[in-house]
Amino acid sequence: MKALRAFVIALGFLAAALPLLWMGITSIKHRDATISQHPKWIPAPAALDSSSSPFFTVTTEALGGLSKVHAGAQHTFLEHLRNSAIIGVLSTIASVLLGTCCAYGFSRFAIRGSKDWLFFILSTRFMPPLAVVVPVLLMYRRFDLQGTHAGLVLLYTVFNLSLAVWLMKGFLDEIPRAYEEAALVDGWSRAQAFVRVVLPEARTGMAVTAVFCLISAWNEYGFAMTLNSSGAVTVPAYFAGLQGNIEGMPWPQVAAGALVFVAPIVVFTVRMRGHLLRGMTFGTIKQ
Amino acid sequence: MRPPASRERRPLLRAEGRSTVRALFTPQLLGYHFATMRTGHDRGGALKWSLVGPTLLLLVAFNVFPLLWNVVLSFTNAELVGEGSRFIGGAHYARVFSDPQFAIALRRTAAFVALAVSIELAIGFALALALRRDFPGKPAILTTLLVPMMLSPAVMGLYWSLVLNGNYGILNQILGAVGLPQPQWVTDRDWKLVSILLVDVWMWTPFMMLIALAGLSAIPASIYEAAEIDRASRWTVFTRITLPMCAPLLGLAVLLRATDALKQFDLVMAITGPNDGATQTLSTLLYQVVFRDGKVGLGSAYACTVLVVVVALATVFTRYVDRLRERGLAR
Repeated sequence: MKALRAFVIALGFLAAALPLLWMGITSIKHRDATISQHPKWIPAPAALDSSSSPFFTVTTEALGGLSKVHAGAQHTFLEHLRNSAIIGVLSTIASVLLGTCCAYGFSRFAIRGSKDWLFFILSTRFMPPLAVVVPVLLMYRRFDLQGTHAGLVLLYTVFNLSLAVWLMKGFLDEIPRAYEEAALVDGWSRAQAFVRVVLPEARTGMAVTAVFCLISAWNEYGFAMTLNSSGAVTVPAYFAGLQGNIEGMPWPQVAAGALVFVAPIVVFTVRMRGHLLRGMTFGTIKQ
Repeated sequence: MRPPASRERRPLLRAEGRSTVRALFTPQLLGYHFATMRTGHDRGGALKWSLVGPTLLLLVAFNVFPLLWNVVLSFTNAELVGEGSRFIGGAHYARVFSDPQFAIALRRTAAFVALAVSIELAIGFALALALRRDFPGKPAILTTLLVPMMLSPAVMGLYWSLVLNGNYGILNQILGAVGLPQPQWVTDRDWKLVSILLVDVWMWTPFMMLIALAGLSAIPASIYEAAEIDRASRWTVFTRITLPMCAPLLGLAVLLRATDALKQFDLVMAITGPNDGATQTLSTLLYQVVFRDGKVGLGSAYACTVLVVVVALATVFTRYVDRLRERGLAR
């Protein structure tokens, strides 16, 4: 039983880690080595690199190429990364602020039909982006928001609201009301109590919510690709556009870009590991 | 875990353990009356609507309004380029239900959801069982196992098409080394959907594992101790205790994952593109019709049909969460 356990864990670990490790290896190869019929997985001096050996020559060509414009492209990878960062960060701030206020309202006040409202908020998350994107596109054309940072910031803010409200409601429900009641008794207004008592208590919850909003904006593809195919293109939309590249896929660049793109997410995952369950289930599961 | 008292919505004013009348005369509450008199925010009133209002308005503007617009569009012959469209009645809907392409995409998506969810559930649950006990290095291994579900499907999908490449992909090189067949994963008609399924399983098995672990850790040790006293066999313990006690949370995981897999778009786009006869799912069919063929009206009719399914699933999900909450398993 113990051996079986260890075997299952080892297999799962390899399945999760090897593709990521291979991504790192691919990002420091020359393109020829990435399409070699022999797996090249050991970095070695150039002398050992032959067509049938497992050795490959290390190069920073692909990683350095992230700041260069490639054939057939208009922008460098780093410019797309900047678009992703701007859109991700701004929309995250907006979602967390709006979501926290809304969650506080549902957490502390008797709102008529609050259950139905919360269901409505959650149901927006279940919507396939493709089902609402056409009217949004028509609206964005009308207001010149297509292909702009502002357009996607707005859309991602709304898209992440369901997550922000549900997560924050879980966190705010855990803060004892006695804290605010004490502040009210001291003569503070509701708004003051919210800002000065509740928000500091909800710091962790807001940080967790922010990370989850940031990750889902960072990774989003459906809206990014349909609305921002020409301007303010984010990394996922840029990457998917590489599919069917006439020159043949620039695999080292793809791997290098993917590596740079997923690195912050990996860091966040490690930092947030205690909150993953909550974040992935809209805060519904107790830990 | 939150204190049970805050679960019910009780008036803010009622002090614990005192009658309301007596509570009204405590010195603290006289101060409270003064505070609310000054600000006028007694039961929330304007404040509560200014807290929840902006969010609800935005959601209505970006979800409800587009949906209604979609319904209108689905009765017209609107196109992506060019102005002017006219009302054409339910012709698109007639087409949706007689269109073999839609039927195929629907069936394929259903099969994809069923396969992906069940494979992920099985592997995820097995991993969770294996990871149940503590061992040195567990946190690091657990975190590594969870990474794939946090990554971008579009970016990882593109990268996976390198791994899956039939000629030089590392997967086939490994399979060849151990003497297994090496299918042309991303170009062979019969294997394309399997490739997408494979990447989906890679990405989302951790999610099932995560929830299964939560389910397992919620089973009280005393039940296992009792089973041990009764000399229950391992199999009995598994089928009578572990599985049934995990089932409610696994059900939640299945629902969440199913609604997500139903929308599957990113991986299909990154691995085969939207118009591949062997892999077209509902979302990619929608994309093809609207953005490649430019038929907005028809696409909207597809979208409205798909939405019925989505709304049904969302309803099931919230009902389910409610039931979990009654049993103390959810917030």
